[in-house]
Amino acid sequence: MPTLDKLEETPRKELHVFYILDTSGSMIGTPIAELNHAMEECTEALKEVAKNNGDAKLKIAVMEFNSNCKWVTDHGPEPVEDFEWEYLEAGGLTSMGAALTELDSQLSRNKFLSSMTGAFMPVLIFMTDGIATDDYDRPLTEIRKNKWFKHGTKIGFAISDEADEKMIASVVGNSEAVIKTNNLALFKKLIRFVSVRASMLASSSRTTDKAADGGGIVSDAKKELDLPDDVTSSLPDSAYNKEPEATSKDDDWNDDEW
Amino acid sequence: MLATGDKIKTSSGDKITIKEFIAEGGQGEVYKVDYNGREKALKWYKKSFLNNNSDPKAFYANIKHNVENGQPSKEFLWPLEITEWQDDTFGYIMDLRPSGYYDITEYMLCHIRFKSYRAIIDACLKIVSAFRILHSHGYSYQDLNDGNFFIDPIKGDVLICDNDNVAPDKVETGILGKPRYLAPEIVLGKVKPNMLTDRFSMAILLYILFCLNHPLEGKKYLADALTPALQEKLYGSEPLFIMDPNDKSNGPDSVAHKNSIMVWKCLPDYMKEIFINAFSQNSFKNPHNRPTELDWLKVLTRFRSEIIDCLCGNEVFTQNGNNCKCDCCGKMIKIPFKLELKSYAIPAVQNSRIYKCQLGTCDAKDALNPIAGVVSKKDSNILGIRNKTDRKWNAINSKGVPKKVDAGETIPLKDGITFTVDDMTIKIIENK
Ligand SMILES: [Zn+2]
Repeated sequence: MPTLDKLEETPRKELHVFYILDTSGSMIGTPIAELNHAMEECTEALKEVAKNNGDAKLKIAVMEFNSNCKWVTDHGPEPVEDFEWEYLEAGGLTSMGAALTELDSQLSRNKFLSSMTGAFMPVLIFMTDGIATDDYDRPLTEIRKNKWFKHGTKIGFAISDEADEKMIASVVGNSEAVIKTNNLALFKKLIRFVSVRASMLASSSRTTDKAADGGGIVSDAKKELDLPDDVTSSLPDSAYNKEPEATSKDDDWNDDEW
Repeated sequence: MLATGDKIKTSSGDKITIKEFIAEGGQGEVYKVDYNGREKALKWYKKSFLNNNSDPKAFYANIKHNVENGQPSKEFLWPLEITEWQDDTFGYIMDLRPSGYYDITEYMLCHIRFKSYRAIIDACLKIVSAFRILHSHGYSYQDLNDGNFFIDPIKGDVLICDNDNVAPDKVETGILGKPRYLAPEIVLGKVKPNMLTDRFSMAILLYILFCLNHPLEGKKYLADALTPALQEKLYGSEPLFIMDPNDKSNGPDSVAHKNSIMVWKCLPDYMKEIFINAFSQNSFKNPHNRPTELDWLKVLTRFRSEIIDCLCGNEVFTQNGNNCKCDCCGKMIKIPFKLELKSYAIPAVQNSRIYKCQLGTCDAKDALNPIAGVVSKKDSNILGIRNKTDRKWNAINSKGVPKKVDAGETIPLKDGITFTVDDMTIKIIENK
């Protein structure tokens, strides 16, 4: 018999958790400090999820956007267990369009999502406290053609009264997957909750045929944390620009577009 | 979340005090608690989990029912007591997991390794036997997956947790199970979990325990993007065994699936055969054609009987009890005697055993009772075979004279002796 110590760990698919975070000038002061602290806790919580996960190898990718956009994980997604949160600084504008364009370019099997075992549909978490200062319509139309983006679990945070709810709802494609709050302590709890929940989707027993989407996760968060209903956006569908429904052609995994 | 010192009442009015948080999963949290002066575990549901269940009241009633009926076998970390509803949720008490047990996930990630193939086989035997008993009580488990089994890597002892979905067969608890461990008919939405889907998930776990690969995740699984549609194909509409003898299109990748390649070629033919059957198109499409728990017990006990240790430390699979060459150090291993059963022979070496289920059909609870064991005479290396049943055996000695062998009595290993247990005659043969 082959000796048992020759066996290697069971191959797992990779699951990427992306954070696209607004670090514009309006975040200066308490907000950026709270964000840094929230992300530190989030990282710790994800390490727990990653530790004993036979279904997915968790990786994390972080982008900050202000007058420009920049990957904090500049060598590509990092294994969660090796990742340590680096404190971000705030300043500048809110280039959401540039952020989407950069994200689009990396959501590809030839870029950030390349791996031997392949990947699950990514988790994409967006946060802003303001209004886009560049054109994001065209980048959004473009990234919506990206199948990883389309099939990903998308959740948005609008963390000030000034934050453009419509913009963030358009980006995640579903107003029910947007949490709006100016309570930063609550934001901290929520981003941890949705990060953990979204990254555990692949490895949890199910009660329904379909895995929860961003909206389902946000609705779970509301129940779990006893949140008031108005913590989610109540925009009517017509108020924001909604993502087109996925088609069966999207699921052809031999397609070069992946 | 509950905090240390929080008090909760059971449905019968007893008090539970939270001592410390142990772990968190998708459905809830587990705490160490004080319950009537004893340390126990409390599983406490997340509100969102119960909220997503179509009938939380029925879910509660089912667990209460399980508490009242008691555990089917000692392998199940069974709900001992249920709490009252509190703040739209509840929990149940069970025994704490003892130290030295690890979940299957930890074996999959090689955080922990089995000490021997015999320990793997023992774990498989205990899992299969526990499910045979559970099913014979009319229950189905409904959510078999890598997180629900705790195994001792040395002895192969097994504890099965998360028994909250155990319900009378075909009664829905609202659970479908965990992706990658679901039977194809569940993935396709045709049925809800039942005994036959349990059987399928169990076969997946058995393959994983031996080969540290998922049996349906060959080359096709390595696609760049695991879309919902691809998942449905891999596990539902077009499942294909990684070791399918006829269709290699989902075969093992030479790098990613080295484990399967290494272990599979060493497995005895009857083990290959049962895995091939369990993951054949016939078994995917016709749940009634899946190998039963008894089918598994028969091959696993045979497999266990056929493994012996080489002096170099390697575990060697013998065939038909014959002398053989160690596949590690290359030395010949001499097996002086073998025991001939109905359709195969096993080596008669120290600690060899014959299980009840190797003799034929038997009650679920008796399947793993050893009925005979090879032992050595005190202070010597002379081997004999001991009657481990509580009844007399009819034997015929090497000169053809009938004899009775009392319970606990040992007969020498001598060419030509036969003894009869439960209608099966076993013959001792010297390997020349
Ligand atoms: Zn050897």
